[in-house]
Amino acid sequence: MIEEVRGLAKKWLESGKVEAILALRKKDGHVAPYLFTETGELDGLVISSNASEIISRYFPSSRSQRYKKNVLYLLEQKYPNAKIGVVARGCDERALIELAKRDQLDLEKIEIMGVACTKEDALECRCPKPYPTKLDVGERVEDVPGDTAVEALLEKSLLEKLAFWKHELSKCIKCYGCRNVCPSCFCEDCELEQDLWVKTGQLPPEIPMFHIIRWYHIADRCIECGECEKACPVDIPLLTIFKLLRRDIKEMFDYEAGLDVKQEAPLLTTLDETPLKE
Amino acid sequence: MTTTEEKPETKASFEPKIVGFLCNWCSYAGADLAGVSRIQYPPNLRIIRVMCSGRVEPEMVVKALYYGADGVLVLGCHIGDCHYQKGNHRTKKRIAVIQRLLGYLGIDPRRVRLDWVSAAEGGRFAQIVTEFTEEMRKLGPLSLKEAFS
Repeated sequence: MIEEVRGLAKKWLESGKVEAILALRKKDGHVAPYLFTETGELDGLVISSNASEIISRYFPSSRSQRYKKNVLYLLEQKYPNAKIGVVARGCDERALIELAKRDQLDLEKIEIMGVACTKEDALECRCPKPYPTKLDVGERVEDVPGDTAVEALLEKSLLEKLAFWKHELSKCIKCYGCRNVCPSCFCEDCELEQDLWVKTGQLPPEIPMFHIIRWYHIADRCIECGECEKACPVDIPLLTIFKLLRRDIKEMFDYEAGLDVKQEAPLLTTLDETPLKE
Repeated sequence: MTTTEEKPETKASFEPKIVGFLCNWCSYAGADLAGVSRIQYPPNLRIIRVMCSGRVEPEMVVKALYYGADGVLVLGCHIGDCHYQKGNHRTKKRIAVIQRLLGYLGIDPRRVRLDWVSAAEGGRFAQIVTEFTEEMRKLGPLSLKEAFS
């Protein structure tokens, strides 16, 4: 599969369809995003050496909040006339669409090269849709089983849920890892750094206020990539809560984040789906 | 450690603390009307006047619960009557999401209630506050901060 991706990337670069291709590159044993501009370099292109490494690296957020723009936005600003190819898996594509919807990048200047994940990857990521809508390489894996962790939580009574989350959230060390790694989080002024909501420099954080605020904020924009859970150093089952929230948003507003760039996010529209913004 | 279960022994003595976010144009005027008309309602409600129920961010609801409220009541204009046209549309969606979220955490979603009260509905305001207070009395104290520490 990787050869196919490299071949296609070579074709795109040679034909001038794109000026450059953003993908992961493996160098000296490390994987990082890289902008491929020459066909000679394409041997270093990898899809993902480890399924959990990819998406956060396309949308890095530095420790400085003022620099929370994603890589593609910065590239688009620097080379306004260039067309950039992006090797994207299902979650990457959903992130791109969600970011474009929220004016964080311009899809017109991007050419997505959709790559499907294998069933093993999908199972590891607990991903229900491990392929992009625009598929160029690989085959769709449809039969990923439902999530047992989600069902297990739903079966608990209110008291059991409380006990469960009390245990899980008490582990939180407020590292902001979940926020920093999240492709859908891009606010320059994060509420979780404002003393009004969360006392900065205080440990442990205000459990569960800190967590509810973060969860609510990306309720209608979570693309279910699971990066937050993978980034969490104390293994709080964040993906479980986001799967539930995504399910709710679908049920209540018939909306799924990252599917259609034209569909407005439900929390930004009126009850009859007209946008609130002017 | 407190629970969300009904506690018979505390039922009689427990007075719930309720924070109410009332919109300036309808619900606050409705509350005012209830007062002027001398309609009786429980004194458990602490009213915070906001310009629009759309101003009520879920963070505010959570913060109220975290710092000791047993229930949060959000009251706004009826759909279609919003002073700012669509402010309460936003509230309705937001509160629905936060209720689900609280439910997953093990907090009874009934502790957050959204309702509509117009400036002419003093009686309705008193009735909602009475109902909600009784419901919170049944649910018992929340003490969210302590429950998670």
